Amino acid sequence: MNILPQLILNSIIAGAIYFLVVLGFNLIYGATKFFNLAHGIMAAIGGYSVFYFSETLGVSIYVAIILGVAFAGFSGFALDKFIYLPLRRRKASNNVLFVASLGAMTSLQAIIAILFSSKFKMFPQNVTTQKLFTIFGGIITQTQLVILVSAVLVMLGLVILLYKTQFGKAVRAISEDEEMARIIGIDTNKIIGYVFFIGSAIAGFTGILVGFDVGIEPNMGLNLLLKGVIASIVGGIGNIYGGVLGAFLLGFVENLGIWKISGEWKDAISFALLIVFLIFRPRGIMNK
Amino acid sequence: MSQSAKRVIGVIVVVAIVVIGYFVLRSPKEVSETTIKIGVVAPLTGDLAFMGEGIRDAILIAKENLGDTKNKYEVIFEDDQLDAKMSASASYKLLSADTVDAFVTFSSVTGNVVAPIAEQNNIVHFGIASDPNVAKGKYNFIHWTPPSEENKVFIAELQRRGIKKLGIFEGNAQGAAAVIADLKEQLKGTGIEIVTDQVFNFGEKDFRTTIAKVKDSEADIYLLLAFSPELEILVKQMKEAGISTPITSIESFELSEQLVLFEGEWYINSADPTADFISKFNAKTGKSPTLGAANAYDIFNLIVAANEKVEGTSKPTSDQVVNELMNITNFSGALGTLSVNEDGIVVSKAAVRMITDGKPVTVAN
Repeated sequence: MNILPQLILNSIIAGAIYFLVVLGFNLIYGATKFFNLAHGIMAAIGGYSVFYFSETLGVSIYVAIILGVAFAGFSGFALDKFIYLPLRRRKASNNVLFVASLGAMTSLQAIIAILFSSKFKMFPQNVTTQKLFTIFGGIITQTQLVILVSAVLVMLGLVILLYKTQFGKAVRAISEDEEMARIIGIDTNKIIGYVFFIGSAIAGFTGILVGFDVGIEPNMGLNLLLKGVIASIVGGIGNIYGGVLGAFLLGFVENLGIWKISGEWKDAISFALLIVFLIFRPRGIMNK
Repeated sequence: MSQSAKRVIGVIVVVAIVVIGYFVLRSPKEVSETTIKIGVVAPLTGDLAFMGEGIRDAILIAKENLGDTKNKYEVIFEDDQLDAKMSASASYKLLSADTVDAFVTFSSVTGNVVAPIAEQNNIVHFGIASDPNVAKGKYNFIHWTPPSEENKVFIAELQRRGIKKLGIFEGNAQGAAAVIADLKEQLKGTGIEIVTDQVFNFGEKDFRTTIAKVKDSEADIYLLLAFSPELEILVKQMKEAGISTPITSIESFELSEQLVLFEGEWYINSADPTADFISKFNAKTGKSPTLGAANAYDIFNLIVAANEKVEGTSKPTSDQVVNELMNITNFSGALGTLSVNEDGIVVSKAAVRMITDGKPVTVAN
């Protein structure tokens, strides 16, 4: 049997997950110009919210998903309001914001572990047999199909939001020059707050999808963020289209890379790709 | 001298008097009784907490069942979540703050971290571990069914079932590596071929490409050596990939709480504990003993037996305890009659088990 279709399918699925992480990460980076390490933990917040609402409170899974996405969004918004915004007002450097985000990530991860234990959890829907589909000779599960469709829809939604609305214009203006955006009357802090909400909500949604596909654990956000950051740097940090390229390139390199060698090399291959780009094209594929 | 400086000196003098007084009043009582402190490093939280709890319960049962002893025994538990970094910090804490006289660890990961620390500090260390390297050195011991014993039973079962092609999925860990290295050696000349051997890292959650690679291997059975949750995720993704080939394991199935995933599959495990231990464990916890619980029970009793055998009234030295441990033969333990071999390994037997109705059932001892 030819395994290539399955490998390509696996690469696309992995790429779609990384892409969803990158999308929110790049959106926030574009507006704030700092590495928000707490972005990954929003994925865990989304995943654990769904687990809590559906498992503990018995809320319908669809309502739990909406609540999970909203909760992650509000968490990101709150981080900006209570940590990043006061620091920005004090003209804190990006290094200070980076360290603050590291602190936020670590403490939120610890809180999740205290509330839910550090034990890996599977959603009940995940344990039962999922519907399987065959595409071009490769097998894909129902959840993975949802991941692929979601990645496309979220991307389309974000492109429409950024390029067809006043809000999008404001976000792009801030991304290009925050000072200038403020001078022309844009309430930059308010817009950045909304950007945090949207970016974090996307991360929360990613965490929920990963939860259905594999499961959830408190440090899931860090693992996702690491791959997201690699994809972001490879594609061009802060660039949404670059994020697409970086995420899928990483997915393909990882999965095709271990075709003929052991799977234990997967992470080494990802980071080798990062190093290659940092040396030869540090601004990524899309940024000049 | 200013007033505030006088106050500071006054406070220091009072604190010094209290501290000295405390130790002076306390010390005679402590000198009169020898307390042997045993530090246990096990996963008490995290994915394998249920195993760490089993080990803790077994040791507490052993302690409660101690008869009259010459020495007093104190057990201090430290959680390492089966994370090597936490194992190291837990053992250093036990060493420096608690001044333990012996270590007990769970897993080859932890055992390999603590073994050199024990050796350097002349502290007796008992690992519940597969990797024979854990027993290297004068002060290190293992109480676990050795890979050679497990593989002997495993190969006999493969032959009995007419299995010729074996596929392997192994987590990148010392224990699994030790089992596979011995298995490859023992398979020579048996006619059983390893058709694929896939290694993956701890924390891996996406096995789909690895699974796609082995689909054409025509293995008659897949041997899975992994911890939770990688084990459960791997099995789930194998099923999703349409693999219906039987799966088996050496120990791993009982490292999971979701035994239902392995329903009807046979595997190799350490031999059943004695009925006496099972009933004691059940009475205390209301559960069946978890993997490693009987070993932990035996280890506590072996350490006690060795310390009690040392003659004299002063506290036994680690060298004296090691000498006594090396001389132990025909010790009646929770895993049968035990002896410590020349490599510091307490040899126990292996058994074939099967998951039936979500529970492990021994099919051949």
